[in-house]
Amino acid sequence: MNEVEKIREELKKSGAERIVAFVKKENEPREVLAVLSQKDIDKVTFSPLSVNNPAKLLMQLNGKVAVVAKGCDAMAIRQLIKEGKLKRENLFIVGISCRGVIDYRKLSKIEKLSEIREVRLEGEEVVLKMRNGEKRIPFAEVIEENCLYCEHPTPVIYDVLIGEAREGRKDFSDLEKLEKMSREERWEYWISQFERCIRCHACRSVCPLCYCEECIVDPSNLAISPMSTAEDKASYPRLLGKTVNAKDNAIYHIIRVLHHAGRCSGCGECERACPMELPLRKLERKLEKVVKEVFGYDLNEDIPFFSKLDMLGD
Amino acid sequence: MRTSHSSQSLICWVIKMIYEGDFLKDAISNLLARGYKVFAPVKLGDFHLFREVKSAEEADFGYILPRNSAKIAVFPENEVLIKYSSWIDEIPFEETRIAIVGIKACDAKAIKLLDEHFLEGFVDPYYKSRREKLLTVAITCEEPGINCFCQSFGINPRKPEADVVFSRIGGKTFVNAYSDAGKDFLSEFNLRNEGEEEARLRQNFERETLEMRKIEIDVEKLKKSFESSYWKEVAVNCKSCGVCTYLCPTCFCFDIYDEGEKKGVRIRAWDSCQFPLHTLESSSHNPRAEKWQRLRNRFYDKFYYALRKGDYYCVGCGRCIDFCPAGIDIVSVISGVR
Repeated sequence: MNEVEKIREELKKSGAERIVAFVKKENEPREVLAVLSQKDIDKVTFSPLSVNNPAKLLMQLNGKVAVVAKGCDAMAIRQLIKEGKLKRENLFIVGISCRGVIDYRKLSKIEKLSEIREVRLEGEEVVLKMRNGEKRIPFAEVIEENCLYCEHPTPVIYDVLIGEAREGRKDFSDLEKLEKMSREERWEYWISQFERCIRCHACRSVCPLCYCEECIVDPSNLAISPMSTAEDKASYPRLLGKTVNAKDNAIYHIIRVLHHAGRCSGCGECERACPMELPLRKLERKLEKVVKEVFGYDLNEDIPFFSKLDMLGD
Repeated sequence: MRTSHSSQSLICWVIKMIYEGDFLKDAISNLLARGYKVFAPVKLGDFHLFREVKSAEEADFGYILPRNSAKIAVFPENEVLIKYSSWIDEIPFEETRIAIVGIKACDAKAIKLLDEHFLEGFVDPYYKSRREKLLTVAITCEEPGINCFCQSFGINPRKPEADVVFSRIGGKTFVNAYSDAGKDFLSEFNLRNEGEEEARLRQNFERETLEMRKIEIDVEKLKKSFESSYWKEVAVNCKSCGVCTYLCPTCFCFDIYDEGEKKGVRIRAWDSCQFPLHTLESSSHNPRAEKWQRLRNRFYDKFYYALRKGDYYCVGCGRCIDFCPAGIDIVSVISGVR
């Protein structure tokens, strides 16, 4: 049985009414997430182009749900359980021991996407089933950068595991280049990145951990009149305008990232969603490092980071 | 439905010529030297963005489509409407002439659609001040992107509706003007008339239909499907972000707010119908509180409500498909309405 057949088999066995899994997108070689029922099980597929994180989708579903989760997806699911947003007993997790996913944008630079019919991993190679014949390219050429320093390629939480468990990487060498820069150089680097941001808020909207109903960066434009009480005004603070410029954008991104301290699952949805290709994962990674090294917190601890800080006091 | 075929064919003096040299870069240099504000595609890493350029060297033309649309030249992400203190101090208007170099047929058509919105009926003076001074230099498409479907709207990617159209055919540079402004602009260059053989080459190039996606729009069905559960199904994975609307060349929603209490600026900034705050009323009622309602609104806006103006507000550029983080596909969604 191949990987996809195994996934279908386990989803069927779960008996769950609803299934969150990958299906092929029309007209393109990539997969997208869908909410399915048992009768659609033959639509389920999986490939290195099954990149998205299903955790956010789970939060809007009730009852028993079976879900296909890669290592980083499982990190997010576990975090949401920790934070009381998902119930473990409602989930049947088909864990995938993940070798990494393909960066779709990189792939599109190497091959014409419209020519590709199917993609699979074979050893260290990606096999592309093309309109005419087959092509092989080294996986290393198209792997998502984020996957290179993945710490948990094997799901940390699952009901059934597909594939052999594998070791992750535990160092922060990917940050060295930025850390070596002087403060000024680094500021310049980030400003030159943030300058591109169009504030579509896709990074926030796709993040499984950005689930707040009211977000501090949203400019609430409710009318404030002379009649408004101080309380009215205080309950609608406008921290940030809608203006798009490098510094406002920087504040947006820094605020967003700080709310992920000790929580980020490392799935990279923020970076993938960004139409302007901002290196958002680098911010999250730095934060992860600080949480680990300065506060001695490990993401695998049962207690959420912020709760632990409260307990420790100052 | 009004057909979207241009008035190009009505103009008989259209000039069709050949240029020896790097026309697009020379065009940018010429425009900059004459004081134009020039928007052109800049290559950043692996992709292109329309940006204001200060020299021809900054521009790069190796793309199918820049990631953002050219609408930023006439409808910027932010603009100051009024500077105020105790009273209005200044109402800034765009004084400089503006040019977009490297626009494709879809984005060029989108500007015509924005014109209908901003200039017909209520005239938006800020948009008008830019639009009046706009010169468009378009590039024809050699091949379509994976999610292009402009031909579904009667757009010919080989014949953009622009002032000047540039094509590279068989190693030769063809430059045509389709308006007075374009004709005036071309008079700045050393051009020679195209020969008979060259004319044939160009005509064949223009007539060729490209193999691309096709959207099936059934307005009657849309009319009946407003209450359909279909929209909830489509929206299940929608993230309610603004990628689709912010990259869209025809989306024109904005918000106006003041920055500064006693002294400050009144700003207009892009807004998106996909954001919950977009429709939040001061009574705290929100007519489109659910994401499926907002998603449905985007599709009805483009393919039903906009028909009041005579056209669909979609040009088939495919950006919203390429960059939707959830993989929501406007062609599949509209073609599959039930």
